[in-house]
Amino acid sequence: MKRSRSGLLLIAVALVLSMSLGYYVMAAKEPIRIGLQAPITGPWAYEGEMARNCVQIVVDEVNKAGGLLGRPVEIVLGDDQGSPKQSALVAQRMVSDKVVAVVGTYGSSINDPASAIYERAELVNIGYGSTAEKLTEQGRKYFFRTCFRDDKQGAFFATFAVNKLKAKRIAIIHDNTTFGKGLAEAARRPIVEQKKAEIVFYDAITPGERDFTAILLNMGKQNPDVLYFTGYYSEAGLIIRQMRTLGIKATFVGGNAAVNDEFVKIAGLNMAAGALQTQEPLPTDLDYPQSKAFLAEYIRRHKEPPSSPWPVYAADAFKAIAAAIEGSGSTDSKVLMNYLRNGLKDYPGITGPISFDAIGDREGAIYLAYEVTTDGKFVPLR
Amino acid sequence: MRTGVASAAAVSAWRLPCRVKMVVFLEQMVNGLTVGAVYSLVALGYTMVYGVMRLINFAHGDFFMLGSYLGYTMLVTVLAQSSLPLWVKLCLATLISMGAISLLGVLVERMAYRPLRKSSRLTAVVSALGVSIFLQNAAMLIWGARYQAYPPWSVPEARWMLGGVHVSLMQLLIMGISLVLMVGLYMFVQRTTVGAAIRATAIDHDTARLMGIDVDQIIRIIFVIGPGLGAIAGVLLGLYYRQIHFTVGWSYGLKAFTAAILGGIGNIPGAMVGGMLLGILEMLGAGYISAAWKDVFVFLILILLLIFRPTGILGERVAEKV
Repeated sequence: MKRSRSGLLLIAVALVLSMSLGYYVMAAKEPIRIGLQAPITGPWAYEGEMARNCVQIVVDEVNKAGGLLGRPVEIVLGDDQGSPKQSALVAQRMVSDKVVAVVGTYGSSINDPASAIYERAELVNIGYGSTAEKLTEQGRKYFFRTCFRDDKQGAFFATFAVNKLKAKRIAIIHDNTTFGKGLAEAARRPIVEQKKAEIVFYDAITPGERDFTAILLNMGKQNPDVLYFTGYYSEAGLIIRQMRTLGIKATFVGGNAAVNDEFVKIAGLNMAAGALQTQEPLPTDLDYPQSKAFLAEYIRRHKEPPSSPWPVYAADAFKAIAAAIEGSGSTDSKVLMNYLRNGLKDYPGITGPISFDAIGDREGAIYLAYEVTTDGKFVPLR
Repeated sequence: MRTGVASAAAVSAWRLPCRVKMVVFLEQMVNGLTVGAVYSLVALGYTMVYGVMRLINFAHGDFFMLGSYLGYTMLVTVLAQSSLPLWVKLCLATLISMGAISLLGVLVERMAYRPLRKSSRLTAVVSALGVSIFLQNAAMLIWGARYQAYPPWSVPEARWMLGGVHVSLMQLLIMGISLVLMVGLYMFVQRTTVGAAIRATAIDHDTARLMGIDVDQIIRIIFVIGPGLGAIAGVLLGLYYRQIHFTVGWSYGLKAFTAAILGGIGNIPGAMVGGMLLGILEMLGAGYISAAWKDVFVFLILILLLIFRPTGILGERVAEKV
């Protein structure tokens, strides 16, 4: 009895010793803590969850390869619930937790207050779903984003319509929302400047309306080859239906909010088929070797690919931060900021090459045109 | 540069060749009359209730919305499997939806309006708003907040070119059905005994009661006819645009209410004229000024009319109001 008790004591002492020793070893390699701010709960919970999954994959990859600067990486998760108020609280917590940099967040209006706080704390933060032009127009030095600005999509449409669709007469209709109007303007500008095609019609509808026959009639009489509609799917479905009923044959191209399953449902399959959309490539349509490997790993873990383009931009935001830490050999925020702006050139991200311009926007623009097939699927037009 | 393109687009309709201009104008008129016919049908509900009870029934737009949803549900559930011809299915869906909404109308009147008949008019209006909010949210809970679409097979797609003008079967149906219903209603109110009782009640409840008219019964009849017509308009709207949403009652209710005022509220021919006029004004505003300013244009006309002719277009000439 006594023997076994002392034996137990010995084991306990050994356990305690080994644990503290382990702690000692870990402390020598203190982890690099990187924040992930995402809407884990709330209306965009699905998006937030996918972003977390995507970032986790690249973090595991980095740790398996020995971490950054020989130190393991640890993610500090902050749930902003898709609300601006919560977003500010999360940002303050990230700052007091002394993370090295932050990945986040999804919505533009949610990202704005957080990035203001990160700016004051001089903390590098990389948005992954916030596409509003305004965010990088405010002179913030520590804000970057891996997703593309709304106006890049407009420029993509201009090139696509003129070079690929060989359009000569282009009509643009927007819906007077900040997003829709911005995209329409961004599409119109390059077309007018390049003078290879003509804008024959440019007008707006009111969202929530159902009857667009008046505006479509006017448009139809200008004989456009292509209509670019930059609003949302509910109006887009009605517009394509009404314009086909009026006998207008122009190719319908939607912005990245216009064409989805609901669009097909409202328009009816016979009218929706052949409609095009300019959009960020879906994860399943990315063509780089690193993207294929990433997607395979995601499917292995979660059974299905991410359903929207945004979470992959979160993984790329993390990869950019990791590359900056490795490349500059530092975790100092100012060094990282300078490296991201000047040192990181065409880093092979999952969504394509990553470089940032002077105001923190990602350079280049990677969009695809998608087509609605006769059985209602969305496939990239090649 | 920006203003150059915008103004070029805005006046585009004016710069076309003469013949094309005529065709465009005619097509705008056809589309305007179609929308106007729907407005008229819904406006009748507002105007009849106002004529008899001096109550603006804000829940009327939601009867219209529920009618649209019920028609949709009938088509995608019970009638989807049956082998009846399409027009029978459509008639059945419309009739069932109409019946159910009429019943709902009577129920709402009994529970939300009759207890308040002796209180101030404002109280009844607040009650109507309450009913509207209730019905809208009920619809959202039952059918969901997403857009629903009438099944493609249910919509008659036939369309013709008449002298260069596109006209679809649905447009003719909407205009035809509305016209028949409105004329029928007018005859009913003007030529039958019940119609006479309705007119008498509209002038004075107490005197009507002294003449042996059951005022409660008359009001019940009003709440059968109004929501019933709204339900028909709802199904027609669903078939025309295919897309329905639980907020549709609010936007169309507001337009129909405007139409009723435009024509002179409480006046049946006024509702018809008001609805048609509103539909045409909208289309012309959208076609020749700017689609984005469509509503501004419509409500500007309403404000001007209220300032210079507050009783509406047909408001003064007709003494009795139903």
